[in-house]
Amino acid sequence: MDRNIDRKSQEFLNAKQEMDKLVMDSLKSENKPNAMFAKLSDLVKAIPVSSKLVKWSRRNSLWPLQFGLACCAIELMDFGAARIDAERKGYLLFRATPRQCDVMLVAGWVTKSMVPEVKRLYEQMTEPRHVIAFGECATCGGPWWESYNIVRGIDQVLPVDVYVAGCPPRPENLFAALMKLQDKLGGKIEV
Amino acid sequence: MSTRINIGPVHPSTHGVLRLVVDVDGDTVKNVEPHIGFLHRGVEKLVETRMYMQCPPYMEKLDYVAPLSYDEAYVATVEAALGIEVKERAQYVRLIELELQRIASHLFFLGALCNDMGQMFTMFMWVFEDRDRVLELLQEATGQRMFYVNMRLGGVTMDLPPDFGENCMKLLSHLEKRIGEYQRYLEKNPVFMERTKGIGVLSAEDAKSLGVAGPVLRASGISYDVRKAKPYYVYEKLNFHVAVEHGCDNFARYRIRIMELRESIRLIRDALKKMPDGDALGASIKLIGPPAKNKIVTVSRELPRGECMMYMVSDPQRPYRLSIRSPCFVNLAALNHIAKGERLADLFSIMGSLDLVMACVDR
Repeated sequence: MDRNIDRKSQEFLNAKQEMDKLVMDSLKSENKPNAMFAKLSDLVKAIPVSSKLVKWSRRNSLWPLQFGLACCAIELMDFGAARIDAERKGYLLFRATPRQCDVMLVAGWVTKSMVPEVKRLYEQMTEPRHVIAFGECATCGGPWWESYNIVRGIDQVLPVDVYVAGCPPRPENLFAALMKLQDKLGGKIEV
Repeated sequence: MSTRINIGPVHPSTHGVLRLVVDVDGDTVKNVEPHIGFLHRGVEKLVETRMYMQCPPYMEKLDYVAPLSYDEAYVATVEAALGIEVKERAQYVRLIELELQRIASHLFFLGALCNDMGQMFTMFMWVFEDRDRVLELLQEATGQRMFYVNMRLGGVTMDLPPDFGENCMKLLSHLEKRIGEYQRYLEKNPVFMERTKGIGVLSAEDAKSLGVAGPVLRASGISYDVRKAKPYYVYEKLNFHVAVEHGCDNFARYRIRIMELRESIRLIRDALKKMPDGDALGASIKLIGPPAKNKIVTVSRELPRGECMMYMVSDPQRPYRLSIRSPCFVNLAALNHIAKGERLADLFSIMGSLDLVMACVDR
C-alpha cells in the first residue's frame, strides 16, 4: 500500500472507470448506497497511507475521546465550549465512544484502579491513535506523587505524544498541544 | 425478573469516574449500587505529611468545580486550631470570593444537568461563557484561573484590585439578566419540564434520615443552611434568604440553584457596599506560631454542594489527623433511594440534579 499515487496508472484508471460504471448501475438498482460505498472503499484503498492527502485529512479531523478524570476535565470542557471553540481548528466534537476517536486526552490523575480501564479505552480506539498527557497529574503524578494509589504519569502505561504542563493548564495550552500534535502528524498544506 | 446493567466507570454522564451497577426490570430501576474509589488518592493521609500551609492546594482539588470553598474551609479549620480572628475586611473579601465561586459552580451545574438530559448543548455553551467571565473576575482578584489558593491565616493572600467593585457590579447585572434568560429557556422547554417535574422525588423525612446535604436537602423543603444556622464571617450582617423549595423532585433541585444564584448576587452586592477599608492580608504561620498539640477542632461550612465538615487533630508541625465529611458522598448515598422505581433514562437526570463531584466523593 505504501507507494506514491499515480493518477495516470492503469490501476487507478481502471478503478475509476469501474467506479463510474458502478455509480451508474447502482443508481438504477435498488440497493444503491451499499454497492457505491463498497467500491468507494476500494478506491480509497488505492491511495497510499503515506500520501499527503491521508496525512492532511488525519491532521484536520482529530476526534478526541470524551474522557475526563479530574480537575483538568473541567478545562477540557472549557476547551470545547463557545469561548475557545476547538472545532475551528479541526478538533471535532468530543465523542463518548472510543471507537470513533483518535486522540485520548488524559485529563487528571490516574489511580491504580483506573489503569485497566484507561488501557482498555486506548485499545478500543481506532488506529492511528494518539495520547496527550494533560496537566501535571497525567504527566508525572503532580501533587499526588507520594500517594499510595497513584500512577506517576500516564506514560508508564501508554505511549504519550504530547505533554502539557500546568495545574490545570489553561484551555489555550491544550490548543497549543493539539497544534503540536498536528505538526507531528505532518501533511500541512501551505495556502 | 430483573436484568443487571453495568454503567461506567467511564461514561459521559457519570460526572467523573463512577461505576453504577443497576438492576432493571424492563426499564424501571430496581436497585442502584454505586461503586466508588476510582479517584481515591488518599488526601487525608497525604496531608499528614505536609506542613499546615502546604495543604490548601490539596484541599482545592477535592472539589474542582468550586475549589475556593474547600480552600477556605481548611484554612478556617487551621485558624480555629490556632484560635485567631480573621480581619474584618478580609472577611468581606473571602465572602465575595466564596459567593463568586458558588455562582461559577451553580452555572456549571446547569450545563451539566442539561447535558445529562441528552445533549441540550446550547445550555452548556451558554453557561460556560458566563462561567468564564466569573473565573476571569476571580483571576483578577487572585491571579489564578482555577485553583486560587487565596486564603492565608487571618486574611487573604491578595486584596481585591482597585477596580474590582466596578467590574463585579457590571458582571452581576449581566448575570442577573442571563439567569432570567436561562430560566425562560429551560422552563418553557417541554423536554426539560417532562424530565424534571415529578422525577426523582425525595421526601423531607427521607432527606433527613439519609442525611443529604445542601441544595438537595433544601429542595426537599428543609430550610437548613450553615450560613444562617451557624453564621460565619459577616453572613449575619448581610441581607439574604435561605432558598427553599417544596417540590422534592428534580425540578426543585434545579430551581433551588437558580434561587441560590440570585441570592449570591444579592449577597455580593450587599457585601461590596458594606465592605470597610483597611488591611486584609493574612500572615504566615511562622509569625503566628504553631498550634497546640492534640487540639481537636471541627469546622462546618456551606459549600456549593452542601455542608462540609472538617475535623482536625492538631500538632505543632502538621495536621495530625484530618477528616473530611464531604457533601457529595452523602448525596451519592441517597441515589439508590431516589432512583428506585424511576426509568433508567431518568437515572442520569437524577444524578445530574445531585451535582456530584467524584473527586470529592473518593478523596
